Amino acid sequence: MRVTIVQGLEQAYYNLVHMIAEFLPRLVVMVVIILVGLVAAYLLGHLVRAVLRLTKLDRVSEDAGASRVLRMADLPSMTELLSRSIFWITWVGFILIGVSVLGVAGLQEQISRLFRFLPEVFIAMLILFLGLVLANFLSRAALLASVNAGIRSPKIWSWSIRFVIWILAISMALEELGLARQTVLAAFSIVFGASMLGLAIAFGLGGQDLARRALERYLGNSTKEKYKEPQPL
Amino acid sequence: MADETFLSDDLLRQLMSVGEVDLLVGILSHSSANTMRRAAHSVEKSLQQNFVRQRVAIISVDGGTAEDSDSDEHSGDGQPGNNSYSKGLNSLRTIHRITAGFNGAPSPGLALRTILSSSDLLRAKACAVVSPATSSTAPEWVANLLRPAFRDSFDFVAPLYSRHKFQGLLARNLLYPMTRALFGRRIRELYSDEWAFSSRLGSYCLNEDVWHEEPVRSRPEAWMGVSAITSDFRCCQVYLGEKPPPPDGAGPDLVEVLRQTVGNLFWLLETHEQSWMERKDSEPVPTFGPEHAVTAEPMEINRARMIEMFQTGVKELEPILKSILSNETLAGIQSVAALDQHSFRFSAELWVTMLYEFAASYHHSVINRDHLVQALVPLYRGKIYSFIEEYSDTSAREMEAASENLCLEFERQKPYLTEKWKAGVEVKS
Repeated sequence: MRVTIVQGLEQAYYNLVHMIAEFLPRLVVMVVIILVGLVAAYLLGHLVRAVLRLTKLDRVSEDAGASRVLRMADLPSMTELLSRSIFWITWVGFILIGVSVLGVAGLQEQISRLFRFLPEVFIAMLILFLGLVLANFLSRAALLASVNAGIRSPKIWSWSIRFVIWILAISMALEELGLARQTVLAAFSIVFGASMLGLAIAFGLGGQDLARRALERYLGNSTKEKYKEPQPL
Repeated sequence: MADETFLSDDLLRQLMSVGEVDLLVGILSHSSANTMRRAAHSVEKSLQQNFVRQRVAIISVDGGTAEDSDSDEHSGDGQPGNNSYSKGLNSLRTIHRITAGFNGAPSPGLALRTILSSSDLLRAKACAVVSPATSSTAPEWVANLLRPAFRDSFDFVAPLYSRHKFQGLLARNLLYPMTRALFGRRIRELYSDEWAFSSRLGSYCLNEDVWHEEPVRSRPEAWMGVSAITSDFRCCQVYLGEKPPPPDGAGPDLVEVLRQTVGNLFWLLETHEQSWMERKDSEPVPTFGPEHAVTAEPMEINRARMIEMFQTGVKELEPILKSILSNETLAGIQSVAALDQHSFRFSAELWVTMLYEFAASYHHSVINRDHLVQALVPLYRGKIYSFIEEYSDTSAREMEAASENLCLEFERQKPYLTEKWKAGVEVKS
């Protein structure tokens, strides 16, 4: 009995020592990978920051209105945001590789799934950014065109364009991520359809005169003389 | 030396058959064949009367219209230079007519490049560019433009017109005073449909690598004028007469005009930065004929609509203007927009400060450059409203004195533009 207990304890001790002996080198490898990752991420972040500053991305972002949205969300500039993202993505990637070296059962599968998902996250972020840029550019163009043409309530046109492009970009990004595809599709159809129906009803009922005048103008039957300005040149 | 690669085989054949000439007149248009034919005929008559002994060619740079397809103005017979127009009526020499056709409408820049290349290949000593509308109604303008370049060795000849006091207000309030203050030469009409140049300036411009640039494609004449000024070519002005109204009465869209002219001017500031920063004050250029003449017949202008569009613009475009202008200037414009019709005044000082801030913002690309120029449109309307209110009952002399004061204000504030130009981009929330 006593011998059995001692043998059991010895076996447990040996197992523990064996496990530690097996685990320690992996832990050291993990720490090394994480430290190398930290250095690599730091260097890559700096490199990206320098390249983005050189390409004057902040100016493009300011022009597109993306910087304003970032400031509203209390986020740093586009260059800083992207370089920090690159830093964290790289480092987290190295951390995950390091953790996978430990050989913990079940963890590797989750990590590889996460890695497979990363490109889709990037594409979704890119779609959102391009959508934001396009929405700001086109809504500003619409605002300027309607103000200069003397159209009443120019902001309505500007905001309508911005809203439609945002909805489109968000639904495309969610579609890319594969999140609730059916729900997103239905929601987009409902929002877009409702907006168009609302506009049609509003224009049809509330804007009969406006529609008539617009048609007359386009068909060249307007009785009202077009606004004339002195010749600029 | 002309780059012949972009000239069509047909045009090269026509040029070779002509040989060498003393004078070349380019008619630059997207007009119909009939208009072009009338214009070429008028120009020919003027040349016959004024340049009897010179070898002359007329080149019509035609964008091509449906009407043109069966026109005899194209050398469709494969015998360029031998069509029914290649003849002289009273002159001692043959006046050649050349047609440069394009598939689709060529840009004014491409049309000018074609004229410059043709002039270079024909070794013309002087060349005039005219629009078909004015050359039909006032053919003597061609001779008036050519004379200083051909006989008096001037390199760039700008036109001068008489106009109604409330026409040409963009030139009077912005283009002329700003180009004068910055480039240092008092040339009133750098943005015009008629001008002339020497072979020296023509060759110089032809060799410049700018023909792909949009501002040069849309308004090449101002670039040519500014190149002449900044490279110290001899410039002069010649009085032509009353500028005729646009053929259809309405004229081009104001937004489009500002995009083409003001956008072009801001671009010229970038490309000739070194030159305008070094220049101080402005100098007059030799002028043939009266320097300015205005008429003052009653003219119907919808002033209420003009001020309304200014006020709406200032209100609705506030976020855009905020990114272009300094806080003080924007506040100044907003206070002007708050005035009623009777007390409305847009001061020269504010106008100049605002324009210089627009130019600096264009340089720093604080927003899309095309959008930036479009944002100027309502503010221009405000200034023009103020100008009309202020000078509706004044004499031409008083109006001219006010314009001179505006020019001096542009010159006075030039250091402000230099300072803003050199400053870094200010990112505003």
